[in-house]
Amino acid sequence: MDATILPEVTAVGVIIKAVLILAVISAIAGFGTYIERKVLAFMQRRLGPQHVGPYGLLQLAADGIKLFTKEDIIPQHANKIIFSVAPAITAATAFIALAAVPVFPDFTIPFVDVFVPSIASDVNVGILFVLGMMAAGLYGPLLAGMAQSNKWGIIGSARTAIQFLSYEVVTGLSLLAPIMMVGSLSFVDFNDYQSDGTWLVVYQPVAFVLFLIAGYAETNRTPFDLLEHEAEIVSGYVTEYSGMRWGMFFIGEYANMITIGVIASVVFLGGYNDWWIFAGWFMILAKIAFSFFFMLWVRAAWPHVRPDQLMWLCWKVLMPLAVINVVITGLVMMAG
Amino acid sequence: MYEFIAFYIFAISTTILFMITVMSKNVLYAMTSLAAGMVMISGFFFILGADFLGVVQLIVYVGAVMALYSFAMMFFDATKDIKEKHNNPTLVFLLGGLMALVFVIIFSAPIIGENIEASYPIVNGVGNAQAVGIVLFTKYLVPFEVAAIMLLVAMIAGIILAGKKMDISLTKTVIQKEPEDEILKESK
Amino acid sequence: MGLEKFKDRNVGTQNYIKLDLTHPPKDGWSKFKQVLSRAVQPELFVGLWVTLREMNNALFRGKMHTTQYPLEKLPISPRYRAIHDMLRLLESGHYRCIGCGLCEKICISNCISMDTRYDENQRKEVSEYTINFGRCIFCGYCAEVCPELAIVHGGRYENASEQRASFSLFEDMLTPIDNLNLQQEYQGFGAISPNADDNIKKTPLAY
Repeated sequence: MDATILPEVTAVGVIIKAVLILAVISAIAGFGTYIERKVLAFMQRRLGPQHVGPYGLLQLAADGIKLFTKEDIIPQHANKIIFSVAPAITAATAFIALAAVPVFPDFTIPFVDVFVPSIASDVNVGILFVLGMMAAGLYGPLLAGMAQSNKWGIIGSARTAIQFLSYEVVTGLSLLAPIMMVGSLSFVDFNDYQSDGTWLVVYQPVAFVLFLIAGYAETNRTPFDLLEHEAEIVSGYVTEYSGMRWGMFFIGEYANMITIGVIASVVFLGGYNDWWIFAGWFMILAKIAFSFFFMLWVRAAWPHVRPDQLMWLCWKVLMPLAVINVVITGLVMMAG
Repeated sequence: MYEFIAFYIFAISTTILFMITVMSKNVLYAMTSLAAGMVMISGFFFILGADFLGVVQLIVYVGAVMALYSFAMMFFDATKDIKEKHNNPTLVFLLGGLMALVFVIIFSAPIIGENIEASYPIVNGVGNAQAVGIVLFTKYLVPFEVAAIMLLVAMIAGIILAGKKMDISLTKTVIQKEPEDEILKESK
Repeated sequence: MGLEKFKDRNVGTQNYIKLDLTHPPKDGWSKFKQVLSRAVQPELFVGLWVTLREMNNALFRGKMHTTQYPLEKLPISPRYRAIHDMLRLLESGHYRCIGCGLCEKICISNCISMDTRYDENQRKEVSEYTINFGRCIFCGYCAEVCPELAIVHGGRYENASEQRASFSLFEDMLTPIDNLNLQQEYQGFGAISPNADDNIKKTPLAY
C-alpha cells in the first residue's frame, strides 16, 4: 500500500469513522450476546432464544428495551459519582482502544467525496495504544467495586486488579516477539509484513498461544472469568449494578472481545490481505468472526481455573515462556 | 486550531483533576482524579507528536502505578471521608504557595527569555519509538542500565520479602504442643 | 443356602471404569511433569471436539433436546398426582362417589369437605363436595383410600388460575357426562408411564 496514492484524511472522515465504529461495534457487541447464547445453546443441544422475532433475532431489541427501562438503583452507602462513572470508563476505554485498530477497509463516500480511513487515528504506535487503553479499562471494574460498598464487589475488583495487571505482562511480552520481527508498532506495517501470504503465526506459534490465553484473561472470558464468578462472589464488581449501567459493562466487555479478535487477526493471522480468491475485507471479517466464535467455543468446552491456578499459570508458566520466546526470537534475528 | 482547542481542554482538565486530588478528603475521589489526570497528561504527548511517550505514560502511570495505588486502597473503606489533621495551616499554605511560586518562576523563565532549544529535535523519517531508542541507547545508556539493575534489585527484594516463609501454610499450621497432663505425657 | 447370593449386589455385567485415584504430586518437579502431561495430552482438544460434535448433532441431525413446553408437552406418568378427577360409572353415568367420607377423614391437610344427605330412594347423595387446593398437598391418600375408585388424580397440572375456587368444585372435577367414553381409568399405583420404553437408557457408567 503506497501512502501517496491514498487521498488525504480529513477531520470529517475521521469523525464519520468514529461514529461508524461506535454505532457498528455497539450493535455487534449487542448482537454478540445473541450469538453467544445461540452458540452455547447449540453446543449443549438446546435451542437458545427463539420467541422474539424470527429465530429469536429480535432478542437483542427486547434486551435493550429491558435494560433501558429498568430502574436505575444506586445503593445507599455507595459513592454516587464514582458509581455512576465507572461503567462509562469500561465502555469508553473499550471504544477508544478501537480508534487505533483497523476495523473496516478504506472507502470513499460517493457524491460528497469524503475519504474514510480504515483506522480512525493512525498513531504509529497502534499496538501499544490499544494495550494501554485496555490497561486503563481496568479502572471501570476497579472503581465500580470500590464505590459500591459491597464485599462481593470489592473482592471482584481486587481479582480484576490482580488478573489484569498480571496478564498485561504476558500480553505485552507475547506481542513483543512479533513486534521485534516486524520492527514497527503500527498495525498497517504488521499487515504489510504478511502480504506475501505467510502469516506471522507460522513464525510465532508460542507468542500466538500466549497472546490468546492472556487476551482471554483480559477480556474476562471463560477459562479465566473469575472476576464475576457467580458461584464464589455473587457477581463480582457488577453485583450492585442494574439496568443500563450494567449494560455498559457488558458492551465494554464485548467490544474488548472484538478488539482482541482484531489484534489476533491483524498481528498473527495475516491481517486484511487478500488470500486465495477471497478479498481482504472478507478475510478480516472471517478471521474476527472465527476468533469470536472460538471464544464461545472455549466457553462451552472448558472449565474455570481457580484464582491461585490463574496466578500460578501467569507468573510461573506463561511469563517465563514469553520471555524465553522473546530471547530466542532475538537470537535468531541476530544470527539471521 | 485543533491543537489549540485540545491543549486548553487537556490543560484545564488536568489542573482541575489534580486540584481534586489534593483538595478532596475522600480517598476514592483523590485516586480516581489522579488516574484521570494521568490520562489527560498523556494527551499533551499526543498533541506534541510524541505518540510513544504518550502511550508509555498511559501504560506505566495509568495501567501500572495507579493500579497498584488503588490496589492498596482496597484495604481501606474507600467510601468514608478522611479526617485530616492540620497543626499549622498557615505554615502549610505559605510553604506550599512558595514552592508553587518557585516552580512557576523556574519553568517560565526560559519561556520569557525565549531561549528554549530542543536538544533532540524530531527528525523527519525517524519514528517515535526509534528516536527514543536511539537516545536511550547512546547518551543515556548508563542511567538506563543503572535503572534496570535497580529495578531488578527491587524485584528480587520484593520476591524475597513476600516469599519469606512461603513454604509454611498460614491456615494449616499444626503446632505440636507438649501435653500438660502427666498421664498423657507418660502414655506418650 | 446361605445369604451370600443375595448379598452380592453386582448383578449383571457392568464394565466399571476404575478412576485413576493416584495421589497428587508432592514436589515441584512432579507437579511440573503432571501439568506438562496434561497440557500436551490433547484433552483440551477432546473437549473442543465434543462440544462441536454435539453442536453438529443438534443442528444437522435433529438431536435437539429442548421441549418447547407450552407448544409440546411431555407425557406424564399415570402415577402423577395432579388435580383430582371424580369418575362416573360407565354403565349408568352416575358419579361413583357413595359419600362414605373416608377421603375427608384421611385428608391430612383437612382440605376436603363434603356433605351428604339421603335422597328420595334412601341412597346417600353427595350434596356438597369441595377440595381447597390452596391447602391440598397432593399426597394422594384420598385416592388411595377410596373404595369405589371414585376420586383419582388426573393429569391437569397447570394450576394457574385467577382464583382458587375455580377448580375446587365437585362439578368441575367430575367427568363431563358427554365425555364419558373418554374417561381414563386409574391404572393403579404400579403403573408405568406411556413412554417408559423410550426413557430407558444406558447408565452413564456403561459408556
